Amino acid sequence: MTRRSVLTATVVLILGALAPAILAAADPAAVINNLGNRALEVLGKNATPAQRVARFHELFREDFDVPGIARFVLGRYWKTATTEQQQEFIKLFEDYIALVYSSQLAAYSGETLKVTGSRADPQGAIVASEIIRPAGTPPVKVEWHLADQNGTYKIRDVAVDGISMAVTQRSEFASVIQRNGGQVQGLIAMLREKTASGLPR
Amino acid sequence: MNLRPRSLVFSKLLLLLVLILPGCAAREGNSQLGAAEAEDFNDPFEDTNRAIFDFNQVVDRNVLVPVAKAYRTVLPDPVRDSLRDFLRNLRAPLIFVNNTLQGDFDLAGQTFARFTLNSTLGVGGLIDVAGRWGQLPYHEQDLGVTFGVWGIPEGPYLVVPVLGPSDPRDLVGQVGEGFGDPWNILVTGNPWTLYWIPYVRGGVSGIDQRSRYIETLADIERTSLDYYATIRSLYRQRRAALVRGERENLPPPASFSRNYGPGASVAVTTPPSRAAFVSEIPNASEVSRR
Repeated sequence: MTRRSVLTATVVLILGALAPAILAAADPAAVINNLGNRALEVLGKNATPAQRVARFHELFREDFDVPGIARFVLGRYWKTATTEQQQEFIKLFEDYIALVYSSQLAAYSGETLKVTGSRADPQGAIVASEIIRPAGTPPVKVEWHLADQNGTYKIRDVAVDGISMAVTQRSEFASVIQRNGGQVQGLIAMLREKTASGLPR
Repeated sequence: MNLRPRSLVFSKLLLLLVLILPGCAAREGNSQLGAAEAEDFNDPFEDTNRAIFDFNQVVDRNVLVPVAKAYRTVLPDPVRDSLRDFLRNLRAPLIFVNNTLQGDFDLAGQTFARFTLNSTLGVGGLIDVAGRWGQLPYHEQDLGVTFGVWGIPEGPYLVVPVLGPSDPRDLVGQVGEGFGDPWNILVTGNPWTLYWIPYVRGGVSGIDQRSRYIETLADIERTSLDYYATIRSLYRQRRAALVRGERENLPPPASFSRNYGPGASVAVTTPPSRAAFVSEIPNASEVSRR
């Protein structure tokens, strides 16, 4: 066996071992499957609310395009905000989302996420999935909108039964800003208050 | 023709006027509102709507939720589900008409099969035989969606006292359905003339639905910065999704492409591989057809 063929074999072996990982990162459906599995850990029954929030933060940061979403939900007010306001908003928005969704997800029990298909989209990809609930209740249809960021997919939006979470958030934030005289600062103040209070029941 | 449904229609139209007129006056002074945004919210009567929304919240907290909680506590789950299935079965004739008006004859056939199976084997609709064992799940459908499928715009967002979020298209649809429902016509007509039955039916189905969203809505209210704005967005998106879902379900003529919302043009004549994918993806409507 020549040295060269040994080298080739090694390269092939390494590539073979790495390929699934690379493919997984480039396959939008795998991203969602992976997210579903890890979300199960987040929702683990033994997790305290604080742990849930902390783990949700991790998931959100790893799998979601947080700056992109933050920009989208601020809509036309993104441009009117100062750089400091934008930075603070991104941080508060992340805290807010972690609080809101980790508490909402805590209500779920025993549901599973099943990816049912995926298709290309000008922005990246859309992955269709179903949250399978206990017998008798129809599954909830969830569409994940992913943006292709240099080969890795990041979630931009989640549509539940056709309702976009990003659009809902943008509409609410725009309303808050408008009712505060068009000032982004008003929204930031409310977000600060809401996230500092930890949304007590 | 009996008078009751007519007077109901009339009172709802009157209500609509009462809602719209003060709203017109109230919005006049608020012209600094960005035009793009006003269009986005689609809520020219926001001040009036918010006032009614607040009123509805008081009713909800003090009447609807306590009653819904009691209903949920007193009746065991199977009984509640049975009642819901019965009420859903009563809606079958209207759903059938809507499927037909939308041109979705496949779905109309399913609705007919559901109604036949559930009314007989399912003991008058108390057991959803077709959904549970017949692969024919219930699907919600109403005249408002049909109008939407026909291309009639939703009109401005409205909050109706007690009934909650709506718009002219859905309100007219609701009134039309109340008027055209065969059971309502049957029980309020001769020889029975039992005018209270449609109200009891409406009340019970309202309480049943409310009882299924107690925690969800409480959670949304608790975490929202502006609950009114959140509900408005959720309602409008949900209705739009139902209309979109129905449109996508209709068998399209060959090489026909349609616009589904801003900037999204979907060619219906897709290559086989993509079509296979798309067909696996459920539409946005509540219940899958398979």
